[in-house]
Amino acid sequence: MAKEGSGSILQFAPLQSSVDEGFWHRLSSLKLNKFGIDDSPIPISGFYAPCSHPQIPNHFTLLAESLPSDSNDESAMPPVIGSNRNRCSVPGILYNTNTMESFKALDKQGLLKAEALKIWEDIHSGKAVEDCSVLSRVLLISFADLKKWNFHYWFAFPALALDPPATLVDLRPASQWFTLEEAESVSAACNEWRNSSATADVPFFLVTIGSDSRAAARHLKDLKACQHDGQKLLFAFYDPCHLPNNPGWPLRNFLALISARWNPKTVHFLCYRENRGFADLNLSLVGEALITIQPGWRERQCVPNAVGWELNKGRKVPRCINLAKSMDPTRLAISAADLNLKLMRWRALPSLNLDILFSLKCLLLGAGTLGCQVARMLMAWGVRKITLLDNGRVAMSNPLRQSLYTLDDCLNGGDFKATAAVRSLQRIFPAVEAEGVVMAIPMPGHPVSSQEEKSVLEDCKRLNDLIDSHDVIFLLTDTRESRWLPTLLCANTNKITITAALGFDSFLVMRHGPGPLNSTPNLKAETGTSLAAGIDNLALTNTDGRHRLGCYFCNDVVAPTDSTSNRTLDQQCTVTRPGLAPIASALAVELLVGILHHPNGIFAEAEIANSNTGGNFELPLGILPHQIRGSLPHFQQMTLVGHSSNSCTACCSTVVSEYRERGMEFILQAINHPTYLEDVTGLTELMSSADAFQLDWDDEIEAADEEFVEL
Amino acid sequence: MDVLHWDGTISVKYFRIGAFAFAQNWENHNSGFPPWSWVCPKHHWLASPEEKGYLSWEKICISRPNEEDVDQISQIDTREEEISCPGNEDVIDDAILVQSSNRELHYYDFHIVYSSTFRVPVLYFRAYCSDGRPFSLDEIEKELPACSAKELSKSKWTFITQEEHPYLKRPWFKLHPCGTAEWMKLLFLSDAAKPKFEVVLELYLLSWFSVVGQVFGLRIPFKISN
Repeated sequence: MAKEGSGSILQFAPLQSSVDEGFWHRLSSLKLNKFGIDDSPIPISGFYAPCSHPQIPNHFTLLAESLPSDSNDESAMPPVIGSNRNRCSVPGILYNTNTMESFKALDKQGLLKAEALKIWEDIHSGKAVEDCSVLSRVLLISFADLKKWNFHYWFAFPALALDPPATLVDLRPASQWFTLEEAESVSAACNEWRNSSATADVPFFLVTIGSDSRAAARHLKDLKACQHDGQKLLFAFYDPCHLPNNPGWPLRNFLALISARWNPKTVHFLCYRENRGFADLNLSLVGEALITIQPGWRERQCVPNAVGWELNKGRKVPRCINLAKSMDPTRLAISAADLNLKLMRWRALPSLNLDILFSLKCLLLGAGTLGCQVARMLMAWGVRKITLLDNGRVAMSNPLRQSLYTLDDCLNGGDFKATAAVRSLQRIFPAVEAEGVVMAIPMPGHPVSSQEEKSVLEDCKRLNDLIDSHDVIFLLTDTRESRWLPTLLCANTNKITITAALGFDSFLVMRHGPGPLNSTPNLKAETGTSLAAGIDNLALTNTDGRHRLGCYFCNDVVAPTDSTSNRTLDQQCTVTRPGLAPIASALAVELLVGILHHPNGIFAEAEIANSNTGGNFELPLGILPHQIRGSLPHFQQMTLVGHSSNSCTACCSTVVSEYRERGMEFILQAINHPTYLEDVTGLTELMSSADAFQLDWDDEIEAADEEFVEL
Repeated sequence: MDVLHWDGTISVKYFRIGAFAFAQNWENHNSGFPPWSWVCPKHHWLASPEEKGYLSWEKICISRPNEEDVDQISQIDTREEEISCPGNEDVIDDAILVQSSNRELHYYDFHIVYSSTFRVPVLYFRAYCSDGRPFSLDEIEKELPACSAKELSKSKWTFITQEEHPYLKRPWFKLHPCGTAEWMKLLFLSDAAKPKFEVVLELYLLSWFSVVGQVFGLRIPFKISN
């Protein structure tokens, strides 16, 4: 549609910016590796091209290559985007600040003026006529927040403003301005200009049309030669804009050049646009502008006003882009870990419940050989919330067997294991939510003096709270008696409890059965949270009549007592074959995952591995045993079942009820009086009539710390 | 070698040959889409010389959102926006056209890269809007054709993951290749025309793309002639 009439100000469509993600990646790399806090301006190089689509403007583009190289073996040469017919290179400059405050405090007008001045100088010195690519420049200010991966930025495309502005006399599609013959010839001339490697990237040129309708495209410096009578002369430029009623931004500085050097009253211009690589004279526009600048405007020392800050959705504010998802190493680690688990689910185990693993809260009592390995295995399964409890310090011999520690943790007396373990987990996977608790577990048979009583009671309470606030408890300590109190507390609250214990060359991994006092056994695996024991059912059996599975102590005929004093030195240190801990820990975690995927969860019946099952399992993860006992000398593993005992010192209903009634008083009694538990449970009587017998391959067990008792 | 005993994979040599043929075919049929180009990165010192290079197809406009999406997208960006930069006010500029916000366009870049582990081509892709802001996987999945979105969640064969682009060293999305050999073999086995193995190799990339392209609603604009 032709626009006629006098007086309307010629309005230019602004250039629009497009920044490839790679630009920000490279800028970050440059800041981190090369520039540091140096905030000197950085030369950049972008490009644009003529519009090639009737509905989409061509954007001014910055890529990674727009910045100097970030590799160390190349000097920081100013980048030049290779110019070709699709990339008219635009030189420019980037001011990247180190803080948000300095970003806001940049003298934007000053910087814009400085860049506009360069163009003005190039116009007056004649450089712009020789190399017209300098008519377009870009100024970019930015602040790269490399902690949050937010990039604040603002483009300016400096334009010299005519004063007063040019007025538009006429603007119409080129096909309507030329005659048919002329149009054909102009198209051909432009296509030739576009296809020749010498001129393809020259964005400003002249189009002359002789009286014979023959058109030619010429360089700007040939202007004098083109000005004779009978010749139509158009100032042509690659127009990135697609709009039918407005020319694009590059025309502004073009008009400034024309006015300053040649001062015509009217200017005929051609907004060159194309389609599929060829001149499109319907999309291209021919216009006529009236230049009425004041006389002084052309003076070299009179630098015109500069405009050109890019608006952000119509507003004069900077833009911001967040790239944490593709740049933040923690985010990348998280998505890689998720990918791993999802692949497992997708390829092999469609019923894998990742949500429950992600939300599970695990408490690990003991941060030694077992604790370290269990923590790592849990993370590998996608568990993120891990609490480690241990009152010891990292000793020099620990890093070899306890996979979270290194020599550094042993120095200066050794860090607390709980805190060192948490640090280590965070280094492995920053998104882990790990907590360390430095605390000793109160143990029966280790009497406390009255001064210590208060703090022991506090520890008991603290342990109780910890157990309450987690879904799964792992008992991974190195003495039998330290497992007693946690077992009782877990039985009381029906938490999923997994025990791992090591002999010299054998191990036990087992899941404790549910507690004796419970209401409904029909739980889904994903609760893991404690039941509100609403109904105090004295239940030896689940409501379906089967025996409740036992805990670690159910098979004991002696109460846990002090197993550590009065032993020889080598018995005091847990000595086991190194291979045991990783095996036992891995099995402990796999057992847990099995429980979580079992419809009955903690109430699941025990299954035994037997050769008849072959490859067909009811549940996708396989069977869910109660106990696994392994022997390294035999390279063998057995699954066993042990039902709960009425006289168990930790989980029988008598003990749990006593605890419920008398609370800490009961605990204290058990701690201080070695035989109290045996009396309460009636074990004292039982012992006198018990026959001890042994399983075949337990013959050689040293059981230096009596972590488990043979049946 | 015949199709029956074939494992569905191709060698890197055939990948290169197939890639050039694929790009050529595409250009010959001039679909209105830009052409595919072969990119040979200069500094890739790790890969053996044979493996250098991948097919690239960039700035493909697949869809536009409607108005509501535009607002949603702009909300994400503007939460940081209330920073005004104090200082001298800009010169009043009468000669600038102030436009209401343009309709946002979504662009896709596709790279076909050979995987030496799986011995199949892998489709890497990313999406961004016209100012360069990249899209997350959620945003991309919202845009995919509805039938494809369903397929993605159910299908064993298509699985989108985010991994480092082997040449550009930045996270891109890709369709995981571990099922590719299987379904490529099925594709050719089920072809009633029982093609010879040489033909299979020639058509490999075309056939492969005709399947993976459907995830994005892309159709090959010409028939694969047997």
